[in-house]
Amino acid sequence: MNNNLKNKNFLLRLLGDPKYQFISIPIFAIICSLIVSAIIILIVGQNPLTAYKGLMQGAGILAKDKYASFQGQPTDFMETLDKMTPMLFAALAVAIALRAGLFNIGVSGQMLIAGFVATITIGYSRQMSPFLAKPLVALIGMIIGALAGGLIGFFKIKFNINEVVSSIMLNYIYQYVFSYFINTKYIDPVTRQSRNIGANARLTLMQMEIGSYKMRIPIFFLVAIIVAIILYFFMNRTSQGLEISSIGFNSDAAQYAGIDVNRRLLHVMLISGALAGLAGVTYYLGYQPSILPKSLSSIGFDSIAVSLLGNNNPIGIIFSSFLITVIDRGATYMRSAAGVEQEIAALMSGIILLFSAMGVYMRQKFAALLGKNRMRG
Amino acid sequence: MLNNIIIDGLSFALPLLIIAIGGIYSERSGITNLALEGLLGFGAFCGGLFMAFLSSSFTAAQVPVYLSLIVAALGGALYASLFAVLCVVFKANQVISGVVINILSVALTGFLTRQINQNFFNQPSDKFQIGVFPRVSVPFLKDIPVLGGFFSNFYVFEVIILLLLAITWYLLYKTRFGMHLRACGDNPQSVDAAGIEVNQVRFKAVLISGALSGIGGMCFAYSISANFSPTVYMGAGFLAIAALIFGNWRIMPTFVACLIFGFARSAGNEIGKAMKLSSSFFDLTMTLPYVLTLLLLIFFSDTNKAPRALGEIYDKGKR
Amino acid sequence: MTEEYDYIIEFKNITKKFPGVIANNDVSLSIRQGEIFALLGENGAGKSTLMSILFGMYEPDQGEIWLRGEKVKINSPNQATELSIGMVHQHFKLVENFTITENIVLGIEPQKSVLGLPIVDIKGTDQKIKDLSHKYGLDVNPTDLIEDINVSTRQRVEILKMLYREAEILIFDEPTAMLTPQEIEFLLEIIKNLQADGKTIILISHKLDEIKQVADRCAVLRHGELIDILDVKTTSTQTMANLMVGKQISLSLDKEKNDPGKTVLEVDNLVIENELGIEIVHDVSFVIRTGEIFSLAGVSGNGQMEIADAIAGLIPVKSGKIKFEQTEITDFSVRDRTELGISYIPEDRQRFGLILEMPLSTNLALKSYYKEPFSRNHILQDRVFLDYSDQLINKFDIRSGQGSATIVRSMSGGNQQKAIIAREIDLDSKLLIFVQPTRGLDIGAIQAVRERMIAERDKGKAILLVSLELDEIMSCSDRIGVIYNGKLQRVSDADLISREEIGEAMMGVANNEQ
Repeated sequence: MNNNLKNKNFLLRLLGDPKYQFISIPIFAIICSLIVSAIIILIVGQNPLTAYKGLMQGAGILAKDKYASFQGQPTDFMETLDKMTPMLFAALAVAIALRAGLFNIGVSGQMLIAGFVATITIGYSRQMSPFLAKPLVALIGMIIGALAGGLIGFFKIKFNINEVVSSIMLNYIYQYVFSYFINTKYIDPVTRQSRNIGANARLTLMQMEIGSYKMRIPIFFLVAIIVAIILYFFMNRTSQGLEISSIGFNSDAAQYAGIDVNRRLLHVMLISGALAGLAGVTYYLGYQPSILPKSLSSIGFDSIAVSLLGNNNPIGIIFSSFLITVIDRGATYMRSAAGVEQEIAALMSGIILLFSAMGVYMRQKFAALLGKNRMRG
Repeated sequence: MLNNIIIDGLSFALPLLIIAIGGIYSERSGITNLALEGLLGFGAFCGGLFMAFLSSSFTAAQVPVYLSLIVAALGGALYASLFAVLCVVFKANQVISGVVINILSVALTGFLTRQINQNFFNQPSDKFQIGVFPRVSVPFLKDIPVLGGFFSNFYVFEVIILLLLAITWYLLYKTRFGMHLRACGDNPQSVDAAGIEVNQVRFKAVLISGALSGIGGMCFAYSISANFSPTVYMGAGFLAIAALIFGNWRIMPTFVACLIFGFARSAGNEIGKAMKLSSSFFDLTMTLPYVLTLLLLIFFSDTNKAPRALGEIYDKGKR
Repeated sequence: MTEEYDYIIEFKNITKKFPGVIANNDVSLSIRQGEIFALLGENGAGKSTLMSILFGMYEPDQGEIWLRGEKVKINSPNQATELSIGMVHQHFKLVENFTITENIVLGIEPQKSVLGLPIVDIKGTDQKIKDLSHKYGLDVNPTDLIEDINVSTRQRVEILKMLYREAEILIFDEPTAMLTPQEIEFLLEIIKNLQADGKTIILISHKLDEIKQVADRCAVLRHGELIDILDVKTTSTQTMANLMVGKQISLSLDKEKNDPGKTVLEVDNLVIENELGIEIVHDVSFVIRTGEIFSLAGVSGNGQMEIADAIAGLIPVKSGKIKFEQTEITDFSVRDRTELGISYIPEDRQRFGLILEMPLSTNLALKSYYKEPFSRNHILQDRVFLDYSDQLINKFDIRSGQGSATIVRSMSGGNQQKAIIAREIDLDSKLLIFVQPTRGLDIGAIQAVRERMIAERDKGKAILLVSLELDEIMSCSDRIGVIYNGKLQRVSDADLISREEIGEAMMGVANNEQ
């Protein structure tokens, strides 16, 4: 009994202490989500443990029972990292905007426009040297993404249009307009997608023989990690980062302090858009070789979950983007291994998102509970 | 051609309107509602599920389509209660909650549709058959030149929506509840001081918002195709938000905004057809409502006055 | 209607605790039917908490409330209303986009039936409100929107709200804080009328003169405890003040005649429009010289806050010029103005002055974080922030839980204000703008801020003081400008203008001599 009480107190201390909450609350949210998802899987009549094991196997964290030739756990794992790369960029795009109080829900659209422009400019120029083509793809992706992000910022500061509404409108506009161009000019009649880009321009190296495996190598994965670290430093340790946070907390006070709020907001949207652009090219000219018309990548939306789960902290986001990617990537294998519909992956991300959104409330609640406990004891 | 523009325009504008009115209820009470898209989808899912079960157990061709609207309303309200719990009870950020609700709605309905089709109907499908909603014309009036389009070949749900328009207008502007709701969006402290529970009013407002969105979503499901499928998430919820902002959070101006969107869309399609352009061209005309929204916002967002307490979390303890 | 009870309200041993504070400690009070009973005390003395308990907004931790000889439990404002208790809150609780009638009936709306449907009957009630307002001399136009009426009319709406609910016990929480002297007179007159009509009135205030003028008895609260109950007629204001603060205090401010030098700020024909394009400041001109305090007196909402904002660069001007030491700065950015030498203590300290979510050290460097030594090559130097912050905390006696690391939101209002004042004064600017610098502070803190302001003047700073408190204007200024409806009504040396003349100018009464 006494022991039980002690355990309870220990848990409360972990969850209630503001010092540890940055890590304890997201983990608590994840555990809650796993439990809820497990219940759903049980209701559907499958074994959640088998399902979760299937997820891990599919993502290359655990070994599958058997592999095809040249395949193995490392190949799966590298593919997971390949998919994680755009996710990480996209979540960083959401995070920096959110730091300034802006909700960049237009990441998907910015990814699409960056990916499309890079595809038709560099992706189809097969003669170009890969050493020129790949950096150019990244550069074009960044610039186009920055412009698309900047447009939203411009609408916000010039016309006072809520960034959420304008991003959503632009998402639809990009989606339909590029669908028109893809369908009329760049369509591959078999796949019903845009024609594949050349290997010279692709940011993922395919079928690389390493040891006994043939695997993907996402060349921008390390770049994404480095960008996350730089961004962490920028947001927390520089005067510009301080200005951005000030605007996010209280833009009136930021203006009063002499910060040029509009200019900073525009900067933030340019950076956010550039990151989204990198997500776009690492997705449409990396993980994939082509663009599916009339659709937006779900990465743009999942990245909101990733960013929330990572507390908008670039380092936290490295971990949360890994987690969400594992769920996403493992779902296909889980379906065959455990017989749970693939859609459960999206549902799991959604549930994690739901619990993350309650994070602020949980922080205060647990802190208050802890305070009460301390007062009594 | 003019008739087609009117007929298609109305069948798009009116469901949009009912969703936008849902948004007005929520936002006038002070709750920013970006969740409309998710609410309408979940409502349509419930209506679709209802129809799928009915049509599998009853052979009769005439399953009660009207009932499906009620089920959709209930489903929308049920799902909206999750949104309300998030931002009224848990006091989470309303914008974030709205986005969460949308993402979860797509995921949840996608998963459930597949799972239910698998388990109960033994078919791998992401759709529910929902049947056809009756269309009618008013004799004589339909033959009036130009205006005849307003009276011909319309869905019965359009009449229901107009009826709901009257009811929601009455409720918001003429009753005690409506007065309390509008006061909550302006100065919740004053509402509290008058002995009215702010969070209760807001909770109800969000539920109404869900019910109306659910109806709108179901109507879209009928008018897009005879299915419930993920295509119901085509952005109508966000268009509705644009419409209500453009309509200055008031019902009648929002009605006008919805009509503009509807007719812009149908006119684009008809012109495309008339010019015998390829089907890809419709991708371009599809952008019309969104482009129009952006343009309208550029020109009008300055003169707009959002409810004063919109997005403000109400905490009784804090005074 | 005389019953068997001696007192209409009795508080018996009321105790109310909030985390970290005891707001009321064993307070017992009895109030007679038909008297004007004042509650006197500093901010945080527990006056408002006690009244909130009576009005059903808080539940006491211990103690009982007796009403008309019976023990009652009041759980909500609704129940208080049923027991015919009404309250005018310090911050008015009015819905801006509703009419006066709609606000008055909110919560107890009269209904009529149209086509069998219940409809809130506003039109039919307008006349009733009109009659009620005539009866007590509270003239209002029932169909006006709240957003279009001024502070004193809003207060009348709040009083009408109580009367419409047939309240017999009327609580006024700091009712005169925002009013001109004439409006205060008018309000006190209304309060006496209400008393003559048989109402019982509780007046929460820290203004001794008013209490002296209207109240019959007065309870003094300090740190949540009842100190004494006084018969107002036989007690001096000095005694009341001493009891309220708990020590001998001086009610006057030592200030020597100033010695103004050259012009620091020159405002020429300033015109400002609000967001809706309506002109709210018309053609205002004045100068401020070194070593003088120039004040803008006026009722809230007459354009004075906008003038301060415009000088600081927070809002644009429509036309006119602002010159700082002969440099025209009309189009300068906020930062350029700060660097030239303008400090600004804003009216709304939580909205503008501070970033509540950030630590005290960051807030104290909010206007210098980007400069050496706080930042080197754009990289923040934490050590410098902390050292600087510790230094200001000592110099200005800022109290906070965890020193420099304290998140500002958790600090008391008084200490938040001290932090802003410390930061702005330490910028060593040539011009200091003080807007409502003592709002919400204790008498002791008020005195300290005013002394600090005068000390800065004596160091040769130019000071613009914008205040709604006439006392503050009278005791601190060297020259006074009175603003009404966006126009500078008159400018005068402080010793050449009387309180009454300022009051008249504040209400727009034309000055014949000019």
